[in-house]
Amino acid sequence: MNLFAALFSHYRRHPLQLAALALMILVATTLWSGVRQLTEQARTSLSQSEQVIAGRQQVVRVDGARLTVSDFVTLRRVGLCVMPWLEVPRQGNVGLVIGVDPLAAACFGGEGGTFGNSQIRLEGEPFVDVSEAARLAEELPDAEPPPSLALIAAGNVTADALPAGYRLADFSRGPDTGELGESFLLNLDALGILALLITALLLRSVYRLGIVQRRDSFALLHRFGVPPAQVDRRLVVELLVLSVLCVLPGLWLGSLLAGLLGQGFGRSLEGLFDAPLYEAPGQWLAPAFTMMAVVLLACLADFLMPGGHRVVARRGKGKLAGGFLLVGLVLALLSPSLLWVFVAVAIVFTGAGLLTPALINRLAERAAGASADPLSRWRYRELAVMARQLALPVVALQFTLAMVLAIQALVTTFEDTFDRWLGQRLEAELYVAVPEGRSGEAAARWLASQPELQTSGAWHRVIRGRGSVSVSGSPPTPVDLFGLSPVSSLVTNWDLLAADDDPWATLTRGEAVLVNEQLARRLELGVGDRIAVEVAGEQLNLPIAGVYADYGRPAGEILISGTLLPEQFQPVFESFSITPGALPLAELIRGLEAAWQVSDITVRDNEEIRSLATGVFDQTFLLTRAMTVLTLALAALALLIMGWVFFTGRNWYFRLLAAWGLSRREVAAQLTRLSVGLTGSVALLALPLGIWLTWVLVHRINPLAFGWSLPMAVYPGFWVELIGLSLLIGLGIALLMGRQLRAGAALPVSASSLTGGER
Amino acid sequence: MRRTALVLLLTVLAGCSQEPEQAGFAGLAEDVAERGQRSYLQPGPDTGLTFPEDLGPHPRHRIEWWYLTANLKTESGEPLGLQWTQFRQALVPRDAGSKPAPETWPLEAAWMAHAAVSWNGKHVFAERLARGDVGNAGAEARPVSVWLDDWQLEAVEDDQWRLQVQAENFGYDLTLTINDQPVAHGIEGFSAKSDSGQGSMYFSYVDIAISGTVRFQDQVLDVEGKGWFDREWSSQFLKTGQLGWDWFALHLDSGDKLMAFRLREDGNPYVSGTWIPASGQVQPLDSGQLALSVIEQREGVPVRWRIEVPEQGVDLELSAPPGNYMNQGLYPYWESPVGVSGSHTGEGYMELTGYR
Amino acid sequence: MRQPVLEARNLSKTFASGAERIAVLSGLSVSLDAGQSLALMGRSGSGKSTLLNLFCGLERPDNGVITLLGERFDYREAGVAGQQEKRWARLRRRRIGVMFQEANLMPALSLLDNVRLRARLAEQPLEQCRTWLERLGIGELAERYPDQVSGGQRQRAALAMVFAMNPDLILADEPTGSLDRRTAEEVTAELFRLQAETGVALVLATHDPELAEQCQVTLDLAHGAPAGPAP
Repeated sequence: MNLFAALFSHYRRHPLQLAALALMILVATTLWSGVRQLTEQARTSLSQSEQVIAGRQQVVRVDGARLTVSDFVTLRRVGLCVMPWLEVPRQGNVGLVIGVDPLAAACFGGEGGTFGNSQIRLEGEPFVDVSEAARLAEELPDAEPPPSLALIAAGNVTADALPAGYRLADFSRGPDTGELGESFLLNLDALGILALLITALLLRSVYRLGIVQRRDSFALLHRFGVPPAQVDRRLVVELLVLSVLCVLPGLWLGSLLAGLLGQGFGRSLEGLFDAPLYEAPGQWLAPAFTMMAVVLLACLADFLMPGGHRVVARRGKGKLAGGFLLVGLVLALLSPSLLWVFVAVAIVFTGAGLLTPALINRLAERAAGASADPLSRWRYRELAVMARQLALPVVALQFTLAMVLAIQALVTTFEDTFDRWLGQRLEAELYVAVPEGRSGEAAARWLASQPELQTSGAWHRVIRGRGSVSVSGSPPTPVDLFGLSPVSSLVTNWDLLAADDDPWATLTRGEAVLVNEQLARRLELGVGDRIAVEVAGEQLNLPIAGVYADYGRPAGEILISGTLLPEQFQPVFESFSITPGALPLAELIRGLEAAWQVSDITVRDNEEIRSLATGVFDQTFLLTRAMTVLTLALAALALLIMGWVFFTGRNWYFRLLAAWGLSRREVAAQLTRLSVGLTGSVALLALPLGIWLTWVLVHRINPLAFGWSLPMAVYPGFWVELIGLSLLIGLGIALLMGRQLRAGAALPVSASSLTGGER
Repeated sequence: MRRTALVLLLTVLAGCSQEPEQAGFAGLAEDVAERGQRSYLQPGPDTGLTFPEDLGPHPRHRIEWWYLTANLKTESGEPLGLQWTQFRQALVPRDAGSKPAPETWPLEAAWMAHAAVSWNGKHVFAERLARGDVGNAGAEARPVSVWLDDWQLEAVEDDQWRLQVQAENFGYDLTLTINDQPVAHGIEGFSAKSDSGQGSMYFSYVDIAISGTVRFQDQVLDVEGKGWFDREWSSQFLKTGQLGWDWFALHLDSGDKLMAFRLREDGNPYVSGTWIPASGQVQPLDSGQLALSVIEQREGVPVRWRIEVPEQGVDLELSAPPGNYMNQGLYPYWESPVGVSGSHTGEGYMELTGYR
Repeated sequence: MRQPVLEARNLSKTFASGAERIAVLSGLSVSLDAGQSLALMGRSGSGKSTLLNLFCGLERPDNGVITLLGERFDYREAGVAGQQEKRWARLRRRRIGVMFQEANLMPALSLLDNVRLRARLAEQPLEQCRTWLERLGIGELAERYPDQVSGGQRQRAALAMVFAMNPDLILADEPTGSLDRRTAEEVTAELFRLQAETGVALVLATHDPELAEQCQVTLDLAHGAPAGPAP
């Protein structure tokens, strides 16, 4: 029998241990590579779509009018290389298509290849021929702001080459789309790394348990004259073979997982960032090596460290953990960037990971010392042993529980807040878009003259366009501009994040401006600050009367009285929000149609708009939730396996209880109290970590990543659910162990004090 | 170029249209009436030419081009070759009078323009693409006007045209004086392109006096010389199996002109041409009356030729000047001036497609 | 007439080993009175441990009747095991002290806590526990944990546990099997001394003939019949 066979004989006797190790590698690889693949796909897509528009310039009309095909012809006929770019939202508001003209794009050929014929593939999404986009735009419901044509100019187009009436402008879609996308990806990356760390912890715990159990046979081999180094080398080879055998199918499963989640994920990404999800080329070599390195590192860390297979000293862990926690908490509070917040989270988790098993151990020891009943003393002492022996999976479970808790809190808070916010925003019952080519003026006059509307209903006119904002001479920031008139009761009950005494009155008088949270954060604006607003060439200098919440888009936005809009202001979109009150709907529609002299205006009710808006967000959080649930399942599985292995090692001592006269039912009850006690205390210790993580997500990560913050809310109901889940995991362990006790009444022929005999 | 240019347009546009068209030579040989309710018109021997309408576009035909080659001389007497071509490729056939609205960014036709200058052994080339019916590319018959972006051919007077092209490395601004009536090739302008009846409508102005300026990199040259202008349209040219084509337009010092082409295919190539005497009757030439043979190749391209029209006592040797005259566009082809010796002397242009 | 502490009739037990069934015991009968000691002899695999397990209900015979401390366990009919389980557990808890070759102690508890745990389960006063350790000469080790004392000291602690529960019957499975000869003799001496003092019945499984000789009755499982001095 050679050395390999001798080493492997352990697994022949304990096939389940081998299976557990293999399963952990497989599942860890699946989970991590799945997340990674999604992130890679998203990254590729974002960078592709950004590359296409990166550093581009566009030609716009000096008079601010919408560009048409004749502008395109004019510019091309003087020899300028411009191409049409027509973005049209798709039906159902899931992402958009971009209409381009590949023939016009030919002259971009030399510029980094992004617009060359070979680069723009018109195979559906998102680039389609501009004629197709124009057709889709025609089919859009009237209420949508009509898509506007942009003319992108090649890099060699200079301002002095432009004919009169045109100027160059930067071409970008939304101010911080790139950064926002990056933040989103960073979140995903962090999720992936967390999943990898958790699985590495679990792997390590399963592997180490096997090594501890094999110490006897290592000692035996040593006695037979096999040098320890040779045994170690063989162990490395053994692990390498195992990881190759498990990592590769894991990668395959990971790509299946990514494919499964990818669809919903792709939709959410497109909905949020207008980034289409392309098929990313399947990579497997780099992830395979990464995963194998993680497996080897997690399992063989002890070999690499001096002192060999010894268990790390327990002493001093508490102080170390405290130090980590302190540094991490302070860093999370003070760090200026997203990356440092993530680092802080990692440090705090490390501290918590060191502290938790020690804490459970300490508390159990104390409880044991305090209890007079020998049986409960035994139980507490056993719990302390478990906490130490199962430290790694216990910590992994704690981490995932905390993660699940925090993400649930974030998502639920967001949904609640968003829902309330949307409710305020959609106070009016009906929304009517001003038809193209018509003015809102006539309709406003007609609405103002309806007595029923004045007494029992409410209405206002929203004129939406573009402007720019600057603070004390800073370069102007482009913003979306909303002109509101009259300022009706439909808006005055908005919850403002910050406001002076009577913001709506000053807004109505045209003496103040309201800004959205994103803009306030970006320009560090507060109530009372004065900003310079440029609207259609005119300068307004107004104080900020309030800051309102705005979710979903990163764009800066300001609200002013419609009376301040200059004559030459070109609205992008104009609409009326109306609660008709006693005014019959039919009469309202007739009145508006008469005012506009059209025969078919589109009236949308607020339900329609609400479902459109919420749909986008539901998609976004789907993936996050799916990933956390999967990680939780993995952690539970690992604790189940480890608990099972632990109990197998200590089987003899539970059998002693039976020999001492406890019935099987009583032994099982002791087991249950033990395992449930363990998972229950893990859940309890996960709560503060989870609440802290919620705080970090809400107050640190979200403002840095998305530009808006949410009220911090906690959901004790969900805590109860999570604790319940943890107790269920404990019950599962007890159940497994109970089966093992029942399997046969025979006591083991011999029990080595080395096996499971830790005190 | 000509035929092959259209093939490549099809390739480019295959991506644009909802139902991509079959690309390749075979694409041109497919059933004429296959697309849409309205069919493409197919010219035949009794189609006949109409002036000046036939200088304008033919939207019920699939393909057509306006094609100028010029043998010019600089002030110091150096020869300078010049080419300008504009192609139209229909994706949907339609009647002349009906036009889609430009706001819809219609994609019923695509345009492509080529410009090249050959001087001092150097050859420069530029290519432009545009969709039709939007307005930045098109053609009119009355007055003559053919444009794509800022490249344009425009009638200034009835017999005087102005051609302006500006590309990155070169450009030209030329005045073209048309000295003769159009020459109809084949039967009343129907020029057969195979034994099985495929063909195109084809006429030429073969006596054009040209003067103007050529910008070649950073030099501006005054030029003068003669040009040859082709108009050709069809819906179906090559039949399946035809590999490429060799085309010649020659100004002989005797005042006679000769157009000759050869369509290469498996087996015997299809040969045709037109003898245009300085005075007298224009004579279409078939394979019994016209012979083309390659004398010498340069890197796979036949650069020296022998052309014989025995009935006219013509036995010419043609050779391209040293240099590489490949137009490196989406679909490369050879377009070079040629010198003529043998029974006659003279100059002209040679286009070779399907060589790589 | 005095009721025997243990009476077994016609016990048989077979094990499955692969496809084969091996009869470990067949038709064995034995009886033990209060204060008596019985040695179970035989090579390993001869069924000593199995028999001990049958005597305390940790295993079931295929057939036969066991009467223990007045409780009758009849295995001749099927389907009675369920009710018997609880009765066996009660007996083990209060009246039968079981002792194994090693690992009789909970590793997470001190020697004293181990004794206290066993005494508590047997509903015996906990105050006596330290005394038992002292009587076995390991009083000063009471606060030590099992892995901090020698094998002999562990078995002494195990003896303390068994006697602290004040049993009517002690079942000891090779209690000194893992000890060196001298320690084994010391531990055995303690066992017999305390057995004599308390008058508890003892069944001792051993392969050591010298040890077996110290018992009043020897049952050689190789021969399947009790030998030695008659009761």
